[in-house]
Amino acid sequence: MKLGHKLSNATFFLLPAIILIAAFYILPLIVTTWISFTPLRDWKISQLTEFVELENYRALYKFVTTHPLGSLVLKTTIVFVVFTLIVNVLGGLLLAIATYVIEERVSLGFRLLWLIPRMTPLAVFGLIWYYFFYGSPQGTLNAFLLKLGLIDQPTFWGTDPNLLPWSAWSIIIFVNGLVGVSYGMIIFYSAFKSLPPELLIAAKVDGASTWQIVRHILIPMARWHLVFVTVWQLLSLVTSYTHLFVLVDWRIVDEWYGTTWALFVFTEAFGTVKNQGLAAAAAVILVIIGSLLGLLTLRIMRFDKITLEPKGDI
Amino acid sequence: MMGNGKNELMGPLVTGYKSYILIGVLLLVSLPLILAYSTLIITSFANTIVSNPWVKFNFTFDNWIAFFRGELSTTHARIYTTGEILRMIGNTVIVAAGVTAVVLGGSATSAYAYSRMKYRWRKGSLKLLLLLHAFPGVALIVGVYTIYYYTLVKYIPPQSRTLYSFFFVILARASLEIPMSIWILKGFFDRVPWELEWSVLIDGGSRWTAFRHAVLPLVKPGIAAVAIFAFLAGWEDLIYVMIFLPPNQKTLATFIEGQLASGSLETSYLPIMAAAGTLYLLPTILFFIFTQRLLLETMSGGLKG
Repeated sequence: MKLGHKLSNATFFLLPAIILIAAFYILPLIVTTWISFTPLRDWKISQLTEFVELENYRALYKFVTTHPLGSLVLKTTIVFVVFTLIVNVLGGLLLAIATYVIEERVSLGFRLLWLIPRMTPLAVFGLIWYYFFYGSPQGTLNAFLLKLGLIDQPTFWGTDPNLLPWSAWSIIIFVNGLVGVSYGMIIFYSAFKSLPPELLIAAKVDGASTWQIVRHILIPMARWHLVFVTVWQLLSLVTSYTHLFVLVDWRIVDEWYGTTWALFVFTEAFGTVKNQGLAAAAAVILVIIGSLLGLLTLRIMRFDKITLEPKGDI
Repeated sequence: MMGNGKNELMGPLVTGYKSYILIGVLLLVSLPLILAYSTLIITSFANTIVSNPWVKFNFTFDNWIAFFRGELSTTHARIYTTGEILRMIGNTVIVAAGVTAVVLGGSATSAYAYSRMKYRWRKGSLKLLLLLHAFPGVALIVGVYTIYYYTLVKYIPPQSRTLYSFFFVILARASLEIPMSIWILKGFFDRVPWELEWSVLIDGGSRWTAFRHAVLPLVKPGIAAVAIFAFLAGWEDLIYVMIFLPPNQKTLATFIEGQLASGSLETSYLPIMAAAGTLYLLPTILFFIFTQRLLLETMSGGLKG
């Protein structure tokens, strides 16, 4: 077959994806970058052709360096990303180890249970934690703590000014951790599963304890996966905003102590402020950080080596 | 796919009383999750919020009935009609089904090309797909909304705008699932032996015939997995539906959001919202029960090239 024919064949098969990706990734990215140089507010589209040079970036810099809420957004982002990352990676590893060493039937039950938050509709997941942290004695957490005698009266856990900032931070870390932890669990678990059984049998015959097997076989085996999951989760935590949006929107946590950089972009663009120029500038910063982390992940994955060559092409 | 060799050959690593301790610890760690989900589901069948094991409650279908009658406040005032409630459920189904169709149409042929053909940029664009999957969605949505709003105002006559917004939200939401779906499906295509297509091509059949009649029937589990993920993605979406659909076109997600968003709490009655939430959770639970292994294996396969 001639090259031209072959290329057109491949193009034919790739066309639907190319169109969707061009229309909903490439073009929007260009538009967002464009908006970051315009004074766009309240979606007044006539402002799309006015230019303010770097004004939005300057305003953003000023907001972050001088405005108390600006530095709070940065602080919340760092705390959220660092601690949720630890929960996701270590929690995922512990869950994977625990479900690997126990009986398969029980293990399957737990793995599925921990997968549920990831698959639960966002609004339902929000609703669940709304009940859980509800500020009356009927809230699940309040009810338990009252019953155990640890508190005298119910508290609005995420918004009580006396408990901020760590109360709100703990809740956003907790809720996002429950969703994120299953990713590490699945990756580590399938890494363990790919171990040859002979290795484990040999270790057992030689009298190795379970702890020694975990310490000297499972964890070293998952070292590469640990790095991969850490970087990949770091990337997804920096850019995630949907669960935070619900927590903040429903006042499960305080508005500002629950706002990370990504959510700030969203609120600036679609909230009450509607300053799209500034939001776009903040979004561009996020894209730059996200792309760097993404490229780092590809390097760690040794992408070029694990990609299969296409099968049987003519 | 994942060898179950360990358990068949040697049984679990931890047995006896130690395994009970470990399972106990796992249960304890899972307790908030178990409590939170049972609060939602049990409350939907109770006359009060069943937030802890000490609550006394009566079993009732009243919340479900009240939800379908649109009586969403403690005073039993009808805020919505039954027709409007059904419309919300219908809208949720339309978006989910639309996203499924676009994802399958947009990813199946590309995944085949990535698995079977050589072309320039193949590796580069495969990398790009992975980057796009992790791309900051919030940066995209600003641009996507601008394009939507601009085209809506400039080119779409008022009577077609609702249709356009549905069309747009489905395409935009589906696109987010395209990169991962191509990756997942490519994995399934990679496992199909090449000989089958070869015989079609030798007999003078086209690539399309080979794809459509020889390979596609063999990757049904992959198609099913991608379809389920896509359906649940469309079904669960809140952000896109909230932003793109006009306020009078609600889905279950925006309905719940509207009831709980700051300030509007007084009118909503939490057990009725639990019924709405449980209904909304139902497809997820059903898919879980019927396709558990497929979901777990597909998710773990996402990492492999």
